[in-house]
Amino acid sequence: MLTELETRLLGVMMMVIMLGMGASLTFKDFRIAFRKPQGILVGLACQYGIMPLLGYLLATLLGLPPALAIGLILMGCMPGGTTSNIFAYFSKGALALSIMMTVCSTLVAVAMVPVLLTSYSQLMGLPSEYSVPAGNVAQVLVVLIVPTVLGMVLRKWNPNVGATIELIGGFLGIVVILFLILTWVPRNHQLLATTPAAVYAASIGLGLIGMALGWGLSRLLRQDALRSRTIALETGIQNGPLAVLIVLLTFQGEMQQQVLLIPVLYSLFIVLTSSAVTVWFRRITTREALARDRAKVVGAGVAAG
Amino acid sequence: MNPTSPTSPAPSRPWLAHYGDRIPRDLPPPSHPHLPALLREAASRHAAQPAFTTCMPNGMHGSLSYAQVDALSDAFAAYLRGVIGLAPGARVALQTPNTLAFPVVAFGVLKAGCVLVNTNPLYTPTEMAHQFRDSGAEALVIVDMFAHKLEGLLAQTAIRKVIVAQVPQFFPAVPRAVIRGVMRWWNRVLPPIGVDHVRLEQALDEGAAALQRDGTLLTKGLEGVGHDSLAVLQYTGGTTGTSKGAMLSHGNLLHNVDQAFAMGSSHIEPGKEVVLTALPLYHIFAFTFNLLCFYVAGSRNVLVPSPRPIQNLQRAFDNYRITWVSGVNTLFNALMNEEWFTAFPPRHLKAAVAGGAALQGAVATRWQQITGTRIAEGYGLTETSPVVCFNPIGGTLKPDSIGIPAPGTDVRLVDDDGHPVPPGTPGELAVRGPQVMQGYWQQPEETARTLREGWLHTGDVAVMDADGYFRIVDRKKDMILVSGFNVYPNEVEDAIATMDEVLEVAVIGVPDDKTGEAVRAYIVPQRDGLTEEAVRAHCKRLLADYKLPRSVVLRKELPKTPIGKILRKDLKAELGLSPAASASPQARAGARP
Repeated sequence: MLTELETRLLGVMMMVIMLGMGASLTFKDFRIAFRKPQGILVGLACQYGIMPLLGYLLATLLGLPPALAIGLILMGCMPGGTTSNIFAYFSKGALALSIMMTVCSTLVAVAMVPVLLTSYSQLMGLPSEYSVPAGNVAQVLVVLIVPTVLGMVLRKWNPNVGATIELIGGFLGIVVILFLILTWVPRNHQLLATTPAAVYAASIGLGLIGMALGWGLSRLLRQDALRSRTIALETGIQNGPLAVLIVLLTFQGEMQQQVLLIPVLYSLFIVLTSSAVTVWFRRITTREALARDRAKVVGAGVAAG
Repeated sequence: MNPTSPTSPAPSRPWLAHYGDRIPRDLPPPSHPHLPALLREAASRHAAQPAFTTCMPNGMHGSLSYAQVDALSDAFAAYLRGVIGLAPGARVALQTPNTLAFPVVAFGVLKAGCVLVNTNPLYTPTEMAHQFRDSGAEALVIVDMFAHKLEGLLAQTAIRKVIVAQVPQFFPAVPRAVIRGVMRWWNRVLPPIGVDHVRLEQALDEGAAALQRDGTLLTKGLEGVGHDSLAVLQYTGGTTGTSKGAMLSHGNLLHNVDQAFAMGSSHIEPGKEVVLTALPLYHIFAFTFNLLCFYVAGSRNVLVPSPRPIQNLQRAFDNYRITWVSGVNTLFNALMNEEWFTAFPPRHLKAAVAGGAALQGAVATRWQQITGTRIAEGYGLTETSPVVCFNPIGGTLKPDSIGIPAPGTDVRLVDDDGHPVPPGTPGELAVRGPQVMQGYWQQPEETARTLREGWLHTGDVAVMDADGYFRIVDRKKDMILVSGFNVYPNEVEDAIATMDEVLEVAVIGVPDDKTGEAVRAYIVPQRDGLTEEAVRAHCKRLLADYKLPRSVVLRKELPKTPIGKILRKDLKAELGLSPAASASPQARAGARP
């Protein structure tokens, strides 16, 4: 399903993106973010409360076989995707919050992912050969955290290098994603044609329903409209490539191909659904800004009259 | 410089008692014959140290050392004189935001014996044409972002050479390419330039080559230049609204550099300071204070091309040990509304200096709480190079006061007939001293109206206390006459600004059937939920009834000048009132409520 080159590219892409993301952050940014941690805590609650549960529920409701179920649950347990920040930027969302959520959920993933993965696998009653060792999760996460910290150090050492890496990271991230999608789809159209509808529903539903629930929960927890939209995108967008790498590291042969199906399809469709949602959110943000402008004029008129 | 005229005897200087040990009572005439001599000496003393760093919002930066600034500005001077053949005294306009090109070009123009015409980059083509025509500028250095505005405009002017500079000028190659790429392809702020021009790098190369051929090029240009020679034409709207050029001589600026130093010398360690320049250098405050003074002091000057949005300053504060910052009320206020600033205020800060517009008491108090340093408010005008008064940083700082006059400066308060008012009475502030301009460029009538018997009449109404500290009451023309009582908008603004819910406020007078004029407040709320009733109730505790705002307008923003001074005249214009319409004769300076 994935060639050697594509797997390598995925790994390199994630490292480059995380390097760039780290280079956009200072240690001070962290300290400031944790002075008012509500936004990040709400985000983490969405990330690790909603998504794994949603993965489990979808797997159960759609009656997926164990190989697909573990792929879906794994996908649900992943930290925030590195591309979410690009979407947050284009949707005119709260960019700083988005970056912080991604970085924080990636950091706590070392502890959260193995725990959640084991719990939901047992709840689902999956056979033991489908379990993912915590060591494999940690191993892949280190690959993400090291470049993040390296980026931060580079930024501190020389802001010119830091800012350049930040831009290159974002740019290369988009290029690699587009390259992977454009080369993968034509070679795998047969696979796409024979995949059952339930698998599509799971792959697309995880992201879309996750966004809706993330939005609802953050509104419930009294985040404003703009931040809620940011958290929604952040919740729905999981780190797909990370799941792919974990699967490649854990499973072999035919089983690997089966488990891989949902993470790959999810990664493919999340780019499309997030793009659509981003366009929609961007319109809402613009409309809100215009409404505020109009309110100003009306307010002045009333006061003047 | 201005001889005492028989009709205006030297007034007493009660403020001298507050000079303390560190401020000289009087300053000797500057020892340098002209600004280039002062600049050269600073450059040779601090040669290897960083002189200027431009810091972009994302932290990308480029720096020049003192030796580099000296060599590059020499090359630019040689280009003006030897390559395009400008005569001494020729005007050269400079129109860039804060970039490394600014000091190189500005110092180069002065070293060539030419006259610098500082020009606001945000000017419209009409405003540009007026300023270029009026000054008779023969060459123009303009930032590439705005060069497209020159099309169809050059023919109306005497400009024969356009030199184009960049925002990331003198940056290392990679960040420079990245910034230019982002500006061109992403922000799309680099439209093609339709007029004949040379790039600044090329001009500098040609200048350096000309200097190689003729080593005497620069000494020749400065032969006739002395204290009385014109150095800068600094345009100002002034009180009448038409833009005119204040003629500032080498002597004016040399004196004012010394005077400004007297103000802060206790907190300035030569070669050790890092000053943040967020205010535009084309404005006289930053030009003299940040650019000239701190260059002479061997400081590192961190230039921010645009302080708006205010987050643009975050990386400058993160990456440099800022020890001094100059600003205006709105800038300090905006900083204190940023979490990154209040959570981690700059640790090495020694002092902040405010000018340009009245510093509100609430802002000054909060600043001290947050940073542990005080904002010393000063007072000056374009016409006075600019420093007139200051709060001595090492001595007594009085809140709501512009402080005491600088050494060698006389200040007095006069009524409409030009007679000094009794102590404690508001009067128009008049200044006499070596920093007072030579006059308005080619405007003898305007000059005669403003400069009378050696005194510059400022149009600002002030009172002096027993210690000789001055307090600006307001602009003469902004005073509001309510039922025959004078209301000073500053006082009402100050009262409203102490409300936590208020971010910014401006107060103007509007015509009123019953009271003649009425007070109207425009407020940008800090958060939702601010009501007109709450504002009035708050003011009622602080102000007499006739000063209370009759109407309150809540807005998203207030009109401001490029340096962030709130423009009351634009608010009046929105209502179709002329800027000075409200100032009836009785409301003039000297009348008491």
